[in-house]
Amino acid sequence: MSLLKEPPPGVTVDVDQAHTKLTEWVVHMEGASGTLYEGEKFQLQFKFSPKYPFDSPEVIFVGEHIPIHPHIYSNGHICLSILTEDWSPALSVQAICLSIISMLSSCKEKKRPPDNSYYVKTCSANPKKTKWWYHDDTV
Amino acid sequence: MTVVVLEEDSTITMATARAPTASDSTHSDNSSSNPSGGGAEGGGDDVPDNSNFECNICLDTAKDAVISMCGHLFCWPCLHQWLETRPNHQTCPVCKAAISRDKVIPLYGRGSGNQQDPRDKLPPRPSGQRTEPEPQGGFMPGLGLGEAGGFQFHFGIGAFPFGIFTTFNNWGGAAAVPPAPGTQQYQEERFLSQVLMAMGLLFLFWLIFV
Ligand SMILES: [Zn+2]
Ligand SMILES: [Zn+2]
Repeated sequence: MSLLKEPPPGVTVDVDQAHTKLTEWVVHMEGASGTLYEGEKFQLQFKFSPKYPFDSPEVIFVGEHIPIHPHIYSNGHICLSILTEDWSPALSVQAICLSIISMLSSCKEKKRPPDNSYYVKTCSANPKKTKWWYHDDTV
Repeated sequence: MTVVVLEEDSTITMATARAPTASDSTHSDNSSSNPSGGGAEGGGDDVPDNSNFECNICLDTAKDAVISMCGHLFCWPCLHQWLETRPNHQTCPVCKAAISRDKVIPLYGRGSGNQQDPRDKLPPRPSGQRTEPEPQGGFMPGLGLGEAGGFQFHFGIGAFPFGIFTTFNNWGGAAAVPPAPGTQQYQEERFLSQVLMAMGLLFLFWLIFV
C-alpha cells in the first residue's frame, strides 16, 4: 500500500475510493508514446487478498479497451510471470504497472495470444487460478 | 478514480520512483537543515530519518530487523512469513538471491535494548503461537525431593507459629475474648493448638530424619 503513503510522480490515488474499498483498485494508464499503444487508454484492476503482500494481487485489464497483445487475453487476463510464480512481496503496485507498461512498450505486433479463444472460454474468472506456462519472455 | 498519467518519459520516472524517492527527499531535507549533510545519514539518532531502514516487504521501519547476505533489510516476521510461503524456493524478495533462515544477520541498533536474536522469537502470527515453557527445576532428576521438601518446609513454618501463638494466648489467658476454661470452646481451641503443635513437631522430625 505504498502508493497511499508515497505516490510516485504521475500517480494519484483517490483517497475516497481507496477508503471505500481498499482491496480493489482501478489504475488508469495510457500507452507510452513512441509505442504501438501510444494514446490508448487502459484500466487495470487490482484485487488484493488478505495475504497481500505475501500473495500476489489479482491484476487484469478491465473496461472497454483491452490491449491487443500476445500476452493479454481478450478477457483482460495477463500472462506475466511476476503476477504468479515470480511474485515477490517487495513488488509494489508501481512496479507491477511498470512491468505491464514495458511489456506493452516492447511489443512489435498487435495480436491476441494464439490460444485466446480457447482460453477465454475455459478459464476461471480469476487469472491466478490459471496454470500459466511462461514460454516467451521477449515480448 | 485513480489516474496514472503516462507521458513520454514517465516509465523512467516510475522506474526510479520507488525506494529512492523517499531517501532522496529526506536526504535533501537533511542537507538543508544540517550543514554536515552526509553525516546525518550515519547518525540516525538525532534525525528521525528511517526511510533507509524500512522493511522491503511491509515498507514500515524494520522491526526485529534482519539483513540478507545480499544486503536487503526486512522485519524478521515479514521475511519469515515470506520464507514459509515458498519453503522450497526461498529467494530474496528484492533481488531473488538465494536466501534462508541461517543466511540472514540480525541487526541490533543502539535502542533495540533486548538483544535477543529475532530469529529465536516466534514471529507473531494469527494462529499456532507457541509459548515458552516455564523454567521448572522440579522436573530435573535428582532435585525432585529437594524442591518438594522446600515447598513443604515453607508450609510448616507458616503453620508452626500459629500453633505457638494460639497456645500462648490460651495459656496466658490474654486473648481478646478468652474463652472461659472448662467451656467447650476452650477445650476445642486447646485441642486444636495441640494438634497443630503436634503436626509441627512431627514435621520437624520428618525433616530431620527422613
Ligand atoms: Zn516488515
Ligand atoms: Zn537481495
